[in-house]
Amino acid sequence: MGSSTSHLSKELLTEYQELTFLTKQEILLAHKRFSDLLPQESRNMEDSLRVRVSTEQILTLPELKANPFRERICRVFSTAPERDSLSFEDFLDLFSVFSDAATPEIKSHYAFRIFDFDDDGTLNKEDLKQLVNCLTGEGQDTQLSTTEMKQLIENILEESDIDRDGTINLSEFQHVISRSPDFTSSFKIVL
Amino acid sequence: MASFLLRQRSTQSDLEPPESLGEVLWEEEVERICSTKVALQALPYAMMDKRLIRHLREPDGVKTSFWEQWKKKWQRVHQQFLDVSHRLMGIFGLWKTDLYEIGGLFGTGIQSYFTFLRFLMVLNLLTFLLTSSLVLLPLAWLHSPEPGPALNTSYHCPTSREPQPDLSRIHLHLWDVFTGRALSNTYLFYGSYRMGPESDSQYSVRLAYLLSPLTCLLLCFCGTVRRMVKGLLHKRLLSRDYRPRLSSKVFVSWDFCIRSREAATIKQHSISNEFKIELQEEQRTLQMQQQTRKQRARQLLSYVGLNMIIGLLVVGGISAIYWATKFSQNYKDESLSLLLQYMSPGVISLVNNLGPLLFGFLVQLENYPPNTEINLTLFWCVVLKLSSLGMFLFSLRQQAVLCSGRSDHSSCEPHGYNQCDQCWENSVGQELYKLSIFDFFLMLAFAFLITLPRRLLVDHLSGQFWVWLGREEFLVPKNVLDIVAGQTITWMGLFYCPLLPLLTSIFIFFTFYVKKYTLLRNCRPSPRLFQASSATFFFQLVLLLGLLVASVPLLYVISSIPSSVNCGLFSNYSAPWQVVPEAMALRLSPSAQKVFYYFGSNTFWYPILILLSLTLTVCLSQSGANKRAIKGLRRQLLWQVREKWHLVEDLSRLLQESGGSDSWGPESPSSRSSRPRSFCPGFPCPGSPRSRSFMVGSTHSQVTSSFSFL
Repeated sequence: MGSSTSHLSKELLTEYQELTFLTKQEILLAHKRFSDLLPQESRNMEDSLRVRVSTEQILTLPELKANPFRERICRVFSTAPERDSLSFEDFLDLFSVFSDAATPEIKSHYAFRIFDFDDDGTLNKEDLKQLVNCLTGEGQDTQLSTTEMKQLIENILEESDIDRDGTINLSEFQHVISRSPDFTSSFKIVL
Repeated sequence: MASFLLRQRSTQSDLEPPESLGEVLWEEEVERICSTKVALQALPYAMMDKRLIRHLREPDGVKTSFWEQWKKKWQRVHQQFLDVSHRLMGIFGLWKTDLYEIGGLFGTGIQSYFTFLRFLMVLNLLTFLLTSSLVLLPLAWLHSPEPGPALNTSYHCPTSREPQPDLSRIHLHLWDVFTGRALSNTYLFYGSYRMGPESDSQYSVRLAYLLSPLTCLLLCFCGTVRRMVKGLLHKRLLSRDYRPRLSSKVFVSWDFCIRSREAATIKQHSISNEFKIELQEEQRTLQMQQQTRKQRARQLLSYVGLNMIIGLLVVGGISAIYWATKFSQNYKDESLSLLLQYMSPGVISLVNNLGPLLFGFLVQLENYPPNTEINLTLFWCVVLKLSSLGMFLFSLRQQAVLCSGRSDHSSCEPHGYNQCDQCWENSVGQELYKLSIFDFFLMLAFAFLITLPRRLLVDHLSGQFWVWLGREEFLVPKNVLDIVAGQTITWMGLFYCPLLPLLTSIFIFFTFYVKKYTLLRNCRPSPRLFQASSATFFFQLVLLLGLLVASVPLLYVISSIPSSVNCGLFSNYSAPWQVVPEAMALRLSPSAQKVFYYFGSNTFWYPILILLSLTLTVCLSQSGANKRAIKGLRRQLLWQVREKWHLVEDLSRLLQESGGSDSWGPESPSSRSSRPRSFCPGFPCPGSPRSRSFMVGSTHSQVTSSFSFL
């Protein structure tokens, strides 16, 4: 297509619908929001599919601005070598996993990756500590004391670490998640 | 379109000698992914990797079979159909943006209350549609006689009321609307439905009128139970092993839909509070387990004592309602003063508003853990609310039943039930109608006369008192109880006031906007975390209880109480249920009647009961066996993992002894310090710069299987 308007072609739309959980409207809306983040000269069709947007820009989106896990989210979904920028397809992947129609398995898979702060494939005590600090915030009165943190992490490991190796792996995490019906409704970001 | 992964693999193989184990695992992984039937969308990889997998699954040049092509075409059509239906539902989706805004600002717990409001409104509208299509439309179609009370001249009743002065004509009209008297000759109330005697060819309006409330209640019951069971499985019936409390709270509590900074801060505060409370409760449980017997007995005694005191208070409140209803019914027609007409609703609201305050105060005196306090207060509030409604209906019924069908109407005169006006169903319907209206206006009054001034005073005045008072807290359980009580009243009135669901849905429509305004402007969110799943379970449970409170009296009335002689559809029957055998006798053949009688008899239900008990026994024993199996499997898993790490340590020791200086194998959990990243990631990392050992899913099975090769 020779036009420089930002309309995705029909084949591309069908392909994206096949590869993600998003509907046509959601894909078009995501494309529009992504193009708004690009500099003026790259807002045409070909460039918008090729150019990457840096993490700082993605973090200005209102859906991610207030999320304590925003940097982790961008890092997990990025396919750049330094993991610091997102292409349009990464952007679509992000909203596909966080959409309404995504299966609980894929959501729990990506939740595990987001919570794994050191990217080693398991949630060890340090990961859990950082997770709890993200959840409770940085304020002096909301952060848990050292003893409380220790007690909390021991409780978590006792409840979820089935094979007693001191870390929570993916299957154990998915086992815990499958017991809470809240997860699918809270792990959702809608554009 | 060179794939990202393939590029990585080729560069890797150029750079260093191939890590044979890594390559083997990588190839196995790709094989496994390509052969699974998992949809492409559901694979947890980046878009370009999914393209590669799609290419590997069906290479472009290969001709796909006719079946595959047809399946793909069908999937595309199905997808288009889903898109269109989603778009249509989006047009009809009521309040979607409002719910989205509330969820973004306050999280899913409070949003679930508003979703519940929408659910109830739709439920009421559907009930109204059912009633009108089954009863009103046929009535209009069959050109029935005009609605109105029957004139029974044999009792020499006055044919008209005393003429009212002109000045207060408008005032009286408005007043009559509020008490329901102006509408008592319309289709709103039971008394004005008329029909000729039953015949076998015509549509039986009586049967429809009788069966439509029962059908509605049954459908609501099934729907509520179904929704409750979904949440129940995850919550209550699981033993301690299966119920990870804190870990699920840690992993699940963040609402990713929150979009504003302040809301995120509030959420963080509530999560922090929640964790601290849970940890404190854990400490307290540990302490309690170390208590002596005497202390435990004393605690139990005080708990039982507290419950008894609260129970006495509840009984006192309910008897107050009984006396108030009796009093107001005694002097029903004498004066039009505000106090007497709306006395019962007033007393009910007073009891229901003072009660929770008292309960909360008493419970706090005992210094229980916070969860116990909240649950106890909530339990007694539910009991108070539903039993007050039940007692109200019971006292109404008592008055009505006592006076109808009596030959000597002298003792009924003071009660206002003289023979000319003998339509007790209408009175009951009017009382329920008044209660419904009163609840709605009370909600408006609280929102605009208490919450709004409180917010204005707190915001504009400074002083210790105002700072302490603060804005009102938006308590979800209290609001849910109010709305469920309103729904219970609607269900109670289905038989006496068939158009009440329409009124209720209009009220709920306005309630949504008023509550939204109150939440966004005049309230502060509660510091207690209220998770959506526990909320939904609680809503469904209270709704179910309300349904039971409404259905039991209705079933009793339909089956045993004789209807009024002067009004309504069932004037010639000993009880409304008698229409059913008569209709069956008229319309069905004798053999069909025999079949129905068999279904109602004992010989049918005893075998069914025995069968159900057998099924229940089998299910229980199966679940016990499953629990034991799971315990055994956990032990096995633990043992196998320990053995695996043992083998790994042996292997690294052997390798160290035989050759290389640095151990390239992973280390056991006892020495965590230098765990190489290359070996046990749980998932593929498309951007990871170095090696590519993929192990999606269970890490342990792969490593164990790889070690079995060595």
